[in-house]
Amino acid sequence: MFITITRRELLAHLLAYRFFVAMIVLLVLIVANAVVLIHDYERRLALYNNAIQNHQDEVVSAQTYSPLHLHADRPPNPLSLYNQGLEKRLGNTVHVDHAFVPTLWDAELHGMDNPFLNLLSSIDLAVVFQVVLSLLALLFAYDAIAGEHEKGSLRLIMTTPVSRGKILLAKYVAAMITLVVPLTISIVLTQILIYTSGSIVLSSDDWIRIGGFYLTSILYLSVFYLIGLLVSVTTRRTATALMSCMFAWVFLVLIYPNLVLFASNPKINPEEKGRAVFQELAQIWDRFDKERLRFLKHDSLEGEDPHLNVIGLGYSFGPSFHSNPMTLHYSHHHAISSSELSEDSKAAVPHAKAFFQHIEQLRIKTAERTWIVRQQALSRIFIHPVQRDRFLIRVSPASAYDLATEAWLGTNLCGLEHFFEAVRQYRQTLIGYFYDKNAFGSRQWFASDKGAVDWSDLPRFSYQRPNAWVAATQALPDVMLLLLINAILFMGSYLIFVRQEI
Amino acid sequence: MIFHIAKRELYDNMNSLRFALTVLLILTLMIVNAVKHRGDYRAEMSIYRKNVAQSLDHLRSSSENLYDLVEKGPGNFYKQPSPLSFCADGGGAFLPDHVLAAEGHYIVGWENAEGIHVWVNGIWTLKFPDENPNLRDIRPDYTQIDWVLVISVVLSFVAILFTFDSISGERERGTLRLILSNSVPRSQILIGKFLGALLSIGLPFLMGALINLFLLNATNHISLETRDWGQLGVIFLIAMVYTSIFIALGLLISARVNQPEISLTILLLIWAVFVVLTPNTLGSIVSGLEPAQTREEYYIRRGEQWEALRERYEWPSGLPKREVPPARGTEMWAKYIEADAELEERLREERLKTQMDQVLFARSVARVSPASIVQFAVESLAGTGLSRHLRFLDGVRRYAAQYREFVISTDQADPDSPHLYFVRQGMSEKPVPYSVIPKFDDRIEFRESINAAMMDISLLVLFAVVLFVGAVLAFVRVDIT
Repeated sequence: MFITITRRELLAHLLAYRFFVAMIVLLVLIVANAVVLIHDYERRLALYNNAIQNHQDEVVSAQTYSPLHLHADRPPNPLSLYNQGLEKRLGNTVHVDHAFVPTLWDAELHGMDNPFLNLLSSIDLAVVFQVVLSLLALLFAYDAIAGEHEKGSLRLIMTTPVSRGKILLAKYVAAMITLVVPLTISIVLTQILIYTSGSIVLSSDDWIRIGGFYLTSILYLSVFYLIGLLVSVTTRRTATALMSCMFAWVFLVLIYPNLVLFASNPKINPEEKGRAVFQELAQIWDRFDKERLRFLKHDSLEGEDPHLNVIGLGYSFGPSFHSNPMTLHYSHHHAISSSELSEDSKAAVPHAKAFFQHIEQLRIKTAERTWIVRQQALSRIFIHPVQRDRFLIRVSPASAYDLATEAWLGTNLCGLEHFFEAVRQYRQTLIGYFYDKNAFGSRQWFASDKGAVDWSDLPRFSYQRPNAWVAATQALPDVMLLLLINAILFMGSYLIFVRQEI
Repeated sequence: MIFHIAKRELYDNMNSLRFALTVLLILTLMIVNAVKHRGDYRAEMSIYRKNVAQSLDHLRSSSENLYDLVEKGPGNFYKQPSPLSFCADGGGAFLPDHVLAAEGHYIVGWENAEGIHVWVNGIWTLKFPDENPNLRDIRPDYTQIDWVLVISVVLSFVAILFTFDSISGERERGTLRLILSNSVPRSQILIGKFLGALLSIGLPFLMGALINLFLLNATNHISLETRDWGQLGVIFLIAMVYTSIFIALGLLISARVNQPEISLTILLLIWAVFVVLTPNTLGSIVSGLEPAQTREEYYIRRGEQWEALRERYEWPSGLPKREVPPARGTEMWAKYIEADAELEERLREERLKTQMDQVLFARSVARVSPASIVQFAVESLAGTGLSRHLRFLDGVRRYAAQYREFVISTDQADPDSPHLYFVRQGMSEKPVPYSVIPKFDDRIEFRESINAAMMDISLLVLFAVVLFVGAVLAFVRVDIT
């Protein structure tokens, strides 16, 4: 009997005109968006390859060690077409330097050179599912019980020996099968488009991520079906049920997340909040500078020439500070590149070698010390408010879905932080390379008169996204939340339905 | 009879659950908006005044010497904040609030006998800020809660919920026959229904808007002037025209489709596509285009053009000198400095234009969606958003031209000046009375706002009329079985 009810419901849904219309609209939207988004991905990939090439040329153009201009680039994430998250917004190229520990606040964006594009919001497939499929789920659910109640057919079903719980379950199973059909077709179509585009190659890890996305989408649809079901068992009239469902939908999907973020929007003024930290950073670098000057004072040469009495052809940036209070950025650089040294300077070479040998190591230590202070301040100023916001918007299943899928696809903050973590590790590799070559104490640190630096054995940066299990553990809280909401809603509907008088 | 039907519809609606929920939703949003925006305008205005005072100080300090006005410029230009930014945020965070009047940069001439580079200062140029404030923002994406959101999302959604069953529902219940058995023409019945729905949505919106304004007034956010009331009135009318579009659409579908649940499904899908999804695809539309000139490309191009410019001038063999008539070398300097500034400004303008063109293209495509049209129209009227920014830029350009003219005419009035523009040694060096120098004054004019919004308003009216006529035709042809 359970099977019979399920089959009857399933056929009723699948043959319904509204299902047909919704399916067509959904598929058109998905195909149109997928084509645009794949094109967008290809464009970003081209920009990435271009940037890699330019940055490689930049490395090779450095004649000595000290003016090395090294960048790490983040490849575009092909899965961002499902949910773009922060992928397109945050920086994807960052300077790697032994004298500075990079973070996402120091990154730049290659490619997007039009700041006015921030005025426009862009779409991804998760938004389409979030809006269209949840509406469809509610349209199936609002009259599931209330409708039968009005028509009187509920009584008829009740006369059969099937328990009420089973009736509810049968309706649920049938509706979910119906809702999963358009979802599955959409994802399959997208995958076909991806496959035919040829530019995106998905690894087996990516398939697990897409699987996670698919399962989370089903859970999300189920939440909205169950909201509709709960409303349907509590109200006797379909008109009331429909209105309650529609307003609940518009509130949960469109209003609530924006309301929370709008209301909690802190006018973050990093300059003000981080003033004390910024001063601390300045002090640490001040101590470094004092040590540098002390070293210069106690050497055998006269004066405190920033160019260390090394004069020759080529360029030279004396000691210089870079600072930006908005991102608590503070760093100190010193680059010299002379292709030929004058006769007088040759005497100064041992002195310059000793200077850099000592100072560059001190610079690395200072950079690491400031990093500890800065990291804490950045997470206090930028990350903590965001974590609170994310906690609050989760009340809406639409936001929980958004956060969970972002986590699956690796386009959330953690996914992007992983890149910067890799960059910081690469920086350690670079320092190790410098030590191996004894670069700091070598003539080639500042002069290339005896041959330019050979960069061919410089380790290259390559970035691998974290594996799918990392993504799964990040998505888990939100997936569990969706599961919990599902369970509560189903239990609620069941308890009310069992006690209802027909 | 029209009013009788309208009244009946209104009473029916007001007693319904949907009306109560509509009122609740609109009031919540309007109150949150007012609470959040309290004090914003005052804070923005005080920052604006401080900035403007700084610019004027700059101008005063350069007025001691006419050529300083040419070299240092009039000081940065600031955009006046709009008191109505609570109506439409317009992406204010992403639009710069100023244009720089950059001081003349060094123009390196040639190497003199000692091998040292000789330079002369150039003249001031307009410089458009070019940073991306979104680069370090890790908060989730969200839409501001302002009048635009209430109008474009909530009012249209409610309009659908009020009309999807207004004809098909009566037909199902059988009351349609009853009404049509009267001698009232069908078109009048439809107009009655239309007015009833418009009133039942317009009243909660009006209530919400008034509470919003009252709260903002009570918290001393703004003291509205006549101009602002005019703008608010027009915004309200726009909201009503926009709501009419969806009411007419609802009536049209409801007349054509027999079952209410199918008409609802169709309406909701149309709504979701045009109101929620289409405005959000703007970014994707643009990303498919040729990307704007990247920063590197811009600098490469600038370098090339500069090289070309330098080759066009043979370098004079000395620094500019003050003599009448001016020496040929001084003339060359003057011409070069002018060409250099002109080139710099032209390149910046071109870059800004390519950037703006992308956004404007996306916006014109997005006008297929009434939700985008209403957003643009309300933004223009509220004095926020892109169209206001473009007007601000135009104002800056107009002023820059006026300022430059002023400098030249002042110079011409000085008999001691060699009248050679633009080099220090060729121009008057007398002080200029501060009071006669034209000053930049950014204003939000009601007439300009209306003009900017006019196209969007006409489009909305067109949408509404077409759909309404469609609804009438559909209803006239309805078969009663």
